[in-house]
Amino acid sequence: MTVSGVLTRIEACIPALRRYATALLRNRDDADDLVHDCLVRALDKLHTRRDEADIRAWLFAIMHNLFISQLRRAKARPAGEPLDESHEAALSVRPDQESSLQFRDLLRGLNRLPVEQRTVILLISVEDLSYAEAASVLGIPIGTVMSRLARGRERLRNLTDEGEAKPALRRVK
Amino acid sequence: MVQSYLQAHPDAARRVSDYQEQRTVLRMVFGGVADEPIPPRLDLDLLIQQRLAQRRTPWRAAAAVLLAFGIGGAGGWFVHAGLLPQVGNLTLLTQEAVANHVVYTADRRRPTELGAEQRDDLARWVSNRLNHPVAPPDLTADGYRYMGGRLAATPDGPAGLFMYDDAQGQRLTVFVLPMNAAAAMPIQHVDFAKVSGCAWIDKGIGYTVVGKLPPAELLRLAERVRQQFIGST
Repeated sequence: MTVSGVLTRIEACIPALRRYATALLRNRDDADDLVHDCLVRALDKLHTRRDEADIRAWLFAIMHNLFISQLRRAKARPAGEPLDESHEAALSVRPDQESSLQFRDLLRGLNRLPVEQRTVILLISVEDLSYAEAASVLGIPIGTVMSRLARGRERLRNLTDEGEAKPALRRVK
Repeated sequence: MVQSYLQAHPDAARRVSDYQEQRTVLRMVFGGVADEPIPPRLDLDLLIQQRLAQRRTPWRAAAAVLLAFGIGGAGGWFVHAGLLPQVGNLTLLTQEAVANHVVYTADRRRPTELGAEQRDDLARWVSNRLNHPVAPPDLTADGYRYMGGRLAATPDGPAGLFMYDDAQGQRLTVFVLPMNAAAAMPIQHVDFAKVSGCAWIDKGIGYTVVGKLPPAELLRLAERVRQQFIGST
């Protein structure tokens, strides 16, 4: 193994780390802060890497742990800014009128999921991690990944089913 | 089989298609972030440099060099007892050379302070400030055009930076930094995430060649530059 090989692999993961952090935090600056901390931590732990395999899962695991401790700190503090849909404008997409409603609806639903369901959905559906990879990132058994995914998807479906958003969701296909 | 099951169970079919839509929409909403250019503060090379800069003490710096430049490649010379004292020198030299390379080669409008036409002026200026005769090496035979250079600032005092580009516009820098007089070190290959380089120390003067090139090519150029510096002093 060469360190430059590992560094190249880390570098290749940065876009995905930013995507996942943005989806978790809904704020571009906070997301880049999280990715920054993750990269610094990864460089600190570089010497613990024996090979170039699973660099992606390793990085996501580092970021997940940072995210969770950040959540804990936020909870300990009185009134932090809630992670809500107010940061939607900061996302990169400029959706048209119709799909914008649909996006907002789904994002609102996503925010109302418990964080352990949200992370599983994002890792599997957006980041294309396998169940095994997601399990190692989150530090939980594969069976738990699968049940959280199933429960999260169903809950998200019910949440987006509420109100008038349903017809809009149907039209997109 | 799945298909026929879904046909027979419209509720299940609706669920499957809803899940697919969730996935599609989530990817649409968040996908764009990954296509954007990476902001400078997440640039891995710069993060490594900042990290090295925080650890100036020789032994920690030596460890950082091992980390940043490739455990496999560096291990060989690091354990070579005779070379141990030079590790701190090498850290400073390569760190400054790579930092200057990254900052100035990225500058499209004004990468050099004095252009190729002021070669002699630059040579005089740098020689005066370094208190050591230094002229920009000629790499024309290797396909590199001399672009110009500048005086660079380092924690160890002034350094000279000379820049070159090839027919594809790929940039290469030669960096010269006077170090403590007793130091000497043969040519070493060093490696960052996006650039790599060769560094050596002759008679107390540190030299590097930095660029995005395969190691063999860099070594060849470094040897050429080294011969020219030996010949000129």
